[in-house]
Amino acid sequence: MPLHLTLDGETHAIEIVRRKPRLVLEVDGRRYEVVEDVDQGVGSLVVDGARVAVARAVVEEGPRETCFVRIEGRTHEIGLIDPREETAGRDSSRDEIHAPMPGAVVTVHRRAGEAVARGETVVTIESMKLQTALAAPRDGVLAEVLKSAGDTFDKDAVLARLVPADGD
Amino acid sequence: MTPPAAPAQPLFCKVLIANRGEIAVRIARTLRAMGIASAAIHHRAERDARHARVADEAHEIAGDTPVAAHLDADQIVAIARACGANAIHPGYGFLSENAAFARKVVAAGLVFIGPDAATIELMGDKISARDFAAAHGVPVAPSVRAGEDIDAFVAAAEATGFPLLIKAAVGGGGKGMSIVRDAGELRERARIATSEAQRYFGDGRIYAETYVERPRHIEVQVLGDGSGGAIHLFERECSIQRRFQKIIEEAPAAPLAEPTRAAICDAAVRLAAAARYGNAGTVEFILGADGRFFFLEMNTRLQVEHPVTEMICGIDLVRVQIEIAAGRGLPFAQGAARASGHAIECRICAEDADNNFLPATGPIRLLRVPAGPHLRFENALDEGQRVTADFDPMLAKLVAWGETRAAAIARMIAALRELTILGVRTNVDYLARVLATEAFRAGAIHTGFIAEHAAALAPPARDPVARDRALIAAALGQRGFREAIAAVEEPYASMGRWRN
Repeated sequence: MPLHLTLDGETHAIEIVRRKPRLVLEVDGRRYEVVEDVDQGVGSLVVDGARVAVARAVVEEGPRETCFVRIEGRTHEIGLIDPREETAGRDSSRDEIHAPMPGAVVTVHRRAGEAVARGETVVTIESMKLQTALAAPRDGVLAEVLKSAGDTFDKDAVLARLVPADGD
Repeated sequence: MTPPAAPAQPLFCKVLIANRGEIAVRIARTLRAMGIASAAIHHRAERDARHARVADEAHEIAGDTPVAAHLDADQIVAIARACGANAIHPGYGFLSENAAFARKVVAAGLVFIGPDAATIELMGDKISARDFAAAHGVPVAPSVRAGEDIDAFVAAAEATGFPLLIKAAVGGGGKGMSIVRDAGELRERARIATSEAQRYFGDGRIYAETYVERPRHIEVQVLGDGSGGAIHLFERECSIQRRFQKIIEEAPAAPLAEPTRAAICDAAVRLAAAARYGNAGTVEFILGADGRFFFLEMNTRLQVEHPVTEMICGIDLVRVQIEIAAGRGLPFAQGAARASGHAIECRICAEDADNNFLPATGPIRLLRVPAGPHLRFENALDEGQRVTADFDPMLAKLVAWGETRAAAIARMIAALRELTILGVRTNVDYLARVLATEAFRAGAIHTGFIAEHAAALAPPARDPVARDRALIAAALGQRGFREAIAAVEEPYASMGRWRN
């Protein structure tokens, strides 16, 4: 499950490929070995052996989380999409699956009435040429799935709702 | 030049600073150096602001909004009296050019650190200031005044010739200003300007003057002793403007023919002497490509960009202001005024420079300030502070000096790269792009520079490698992602890899 970031209106996916002995990340499929030394927002980043000074600060304004990153005299304003938010919904009620960004439904994996376990993929969506699996935020039963394959939706749209399973 | 040591007996016991932000902090610094106690004022919404903390004492001022409180002349004078201040320094903006305030300060038995109320009034009205300048041999642009009869105004304006610049008689900041290029749009523009002037300044009088194409904004720092003695501390160039407001200033001016420079400085001194100007002031001029220059206005206060003059002259202008206000007279004769090197100031603003300079708000989460010789960072910023829409979007001023203009530009670009203000959008990177243009380096500047070079000043495409590094840095700053690296745990463990 990659972390999704937005920059200049484009979504990028970052994935952890390997943790040890060195951290290896993939950015939109491009692989980098990364060593980070950042304290209190200031420090350095060594990417594939090249060291750059970096400063960063995260700002949470309502549901938005933005990371300001300054590298080599340029500030990049990067939107963060929390993977838990992505699946759990922004109201943290954990009863809804929200769209983390505008897009279209590719596949509906589960139907209304089916029991799902936390983390199980319910729908796969495509947004800005990237496919993302949206998982159940907790164990439960799907009360409704509001979109079908091919349907489009806006950012934050509710795609499915959960109710607790019997005996929960 | 070494500033004189603080006198054994300070010139004033205590000075109230009727301002806030970087300028209040800067004034407090000089007061401390002079052995004078400082008193700050603050609205309850800015209780924790730096200007209130650095002064020797701080007093709360009441008001529906912070700005309203800072404009409450009676309340501020009462606080000054109550706290035992002998003088008030108004800084710039707020009450600094308010003649009624200056009068109230004096009536309360306090010293106003600035010129007298009558001079503020004379120069505050652009029409009376123009007349005064013209009467004393200072060139003014051909102009027409709008009276009751709009038809007569339109006819007279047409006779003056286009292009014309419509302006409000009082006020500034570009409000009520507009460039009119033909007769067809004159009437409507005049109507809009009148209503804007009425709305913003409570005075609907407007006038139109010959608009100088590709004009440069050149201003002269003057000092007057109040009895007709006046000197200048050279000129500043403030031609880089957005929305009629300066964002980059320098001293001396970018390339300027020596006879023109001398003529402009002489005109400014002539005006200050004729007005029997007492204290520091700035005479602003518009300079055309043909070398002709016209009086624009006189600012009867310390200017935002005064540090560039301080850097080339090796002088503390706030100290000079205090000394003049205390009756010490001018610091030296004109012949002793010296300038060396070149200084540039960049106004750091919370704004979206790439989207029409719209003001931005947000928290200051991280602040790292450049350091080194010949650099000043004038500010009142604190990490954790919120930039709100309550005040002007200017956050700070970065000032750099160099032996040559090229050296000052290089030092400024390096300092801007180092300056880190994160959490709110700023114009830091934009300013660096302006300084890096060939046109700026060549000194080919005028007040339309920003519009003329808009395409070149747009943010360059992000280098893919730099972009990926930034994305990696952002990801590593995200708690969930860090946790995922530290341990394989929910929700990652149950999700697996969805992508092939």
